[in-house]
Amino acid sequence: MNLLIVNNLSAGYAGKDIIKDISFSIEAGKVTGVLGPNGCGKTTLLKATANLLAHRGSCFIEGQMLETLSARTLSGLCGYIPQRSSISIDLTLLDVVLMGFNPDLKLLQQPSRQMKEEALHALSMVGLAHRKDENFQHLSEGQKQLVLLARTFAGKRRLLLLDEPESALDFRLRYQAMELLRSYISKNQASALVTLHDSSLALNYCDTLLVLSNSRLSGIIEPDRTPISRMERLLSEVYGTVSISVLMNRSKKKQLIMMKEDIS
Amino acid sequence: MKPSMEFRTKKILFITAGIILLGILTICSFFVGKYPLTLSGLLSGDALQWRVFLTLRASRAIIGAIGGFVLGVTGFVYQTVFRNPLASPDIIGVSSGASAGAAFGILFLTGTMAITASAFAGAICCVILVLILSSLSSSKDGRSIVLAGIAVHSLSQTVLVCLKLTADPEKQLASIEYWIMGSLNGISLYSIGGNILLCLICLAALFLLYRQIILLSLDDQEGALLGVNVSRIRLVVLLTATLATSSVISMTGLISFLSLLAPHGARLLLKNNRLSTMILSGILGGCLLTLGDLLARSIASTELPVSIFTSLLGAPFLISLCLRRERAR
Repeated sequence: MNLLIVNNLSAGYAGKDIIKDISFSIEAGKVTGVLGPNGCGKTTLLKATANLLAHRGSCFIEGQMLETLSARTLSGLCGYIPQRSSISIDLTLLDVVLMGFNPDLKLLQQPSRQMKEEALHALSMVGLAHRKDENFQHLSEGQKQLVLLARTFAGKRRLLLLDEPESALDFRLRYQAMELLRSYISKNQASALVTLHDSSLALNYCDTLLVLSNSRLSGIIEPDRTPISRMERLLSEVYGTVSISVLMNRSKKKQLIMMKEDIS
Repeated sequence: MKPSMEFRTKKILFITAGIILLGILTICSFFVGKYPLTLSGLLSGDALQWRVFLTLRASRAIIGAIGGFVLGVTGFVYQTVFRNPLASPDIIGVSSGASAGAAFGILFLTGTMAITASAFAGAICCVILVLILSSLSSSKDGRSIVLAGIAVHSLSQTVLVCLKLTADPEKQLASIEYWIMGSLNGISLYSIGGNILLCLICLAALFLLYRQIILLSLDDQEGALLGVNVSRIRLVVLLTATLATSSVISMTGLISFLSLLAPHGARLLLKNNRLSTMILSGILGGCLLTLGDLLARSIASTELPVSIFTSLLGAPFLISLCLRRERAR
């Protein structure tokens, strides 16, 4: 069953299209990555999908036309993690995570005790439960990203849109965050659309990869199925000549590695 | 599931201390002034003392505490919603609108109640103009409100100057200047009922909307995807805060610095933006205004403008808190 269907999406700023005519769909329980060079419209794609940006074309989430949903209904279905949070005032981590429950609460209602338990659980998933009373502003950028991830997990959204969640994370946390995302997705039969720069995360943690170049969707990669030669050809269009090798780590787990070929 | 013990103790300590201080200052406010009042006199039913108490002191004390509370809380709200630590009622034209309205009242109307009503109307007109202007702008975020506020602010300053030019310099001009400087003097207990009621209703609404106010501190896109109907809720919150502010400054005239200062004080003490911080902003505002008013009426032989003292007390307080925070780091 397709959780998200995107038809002929075009969007941009000041009358100029950044993305043109993009169509794809995402099944429940799958993680879809978006790869592409800087400025190719990855963020624009996410924002247009979340109806944060005026666009042409349409998106359907669980069969409902996304553009017709109220902000409240939409936010109950779909969680969005920006590259940087705009939180600018002093708040504790627990307060930040509790914001994620807003779509489930009435205007004047306060979060319940159970929501606080769940928020704390979400914080413990990203390993920050012991710092729940600390100031969000005092965290590093990477830790802030983890708190935002926890906020989205706590809200139990069906579709997660993540904008470069790995960009500020260190090597270990990148893998940990992707593991968390995968387990959330399969446990809740949710879906994720993730923009990524790290190709090895993209190739090893996503079920499907959308490759963007020149404002268009230039191809779709399924790392488990697509032949290596085709992956290399598609990714070379984006990054310059690259090759992809299949390697085993010492625990005999297969990993796809992308390497640059035209370095002198 | 509770905030850490350290924070809870600190919160309870500061809020209790604040309430006690506000209580003491309010009681002082009842009894300090040119005409000496005594508790025994009031209890024995001395008619003159009762009249002084009811016509002069009671209203002053009430406005000092409640008005200061309102200015503190709305300062917190403006700063949070505009994501700007320098935001205050001036930013959306409340103060300048009230001044122009008061000047109009002094020139063309008679009676303090009419002047209060005129100031209130001026403030509300300006704010509505600001909100209309900002809704016409293509980028519907907090910044367009600030820009519209600056435009309307200078517009109403111009109106004020024109009104001053036509004023009789002997009496009316002096009254306008005095009004703008702000004072809790000469407000009768019988004329403030409506304003106080409006303040209390708005305060209750703002406390109920606390969670939404915090969500408005996010940018519009992040807020929207957390299910906040950003433009509508921002309008409701700003209108509520402005109604409360207008009803205070239409009684007292401009009171500088208080809305800016009280929330910063509360945040520096509690180091977060919980509901308790909003309450403490109000308590600090009440203390500061009452204390300023006590000094304004007792230091010199004539009444002094209360703004002198709110600034004079407030600035060192804020500086000392900043220094303390720097050391604590």
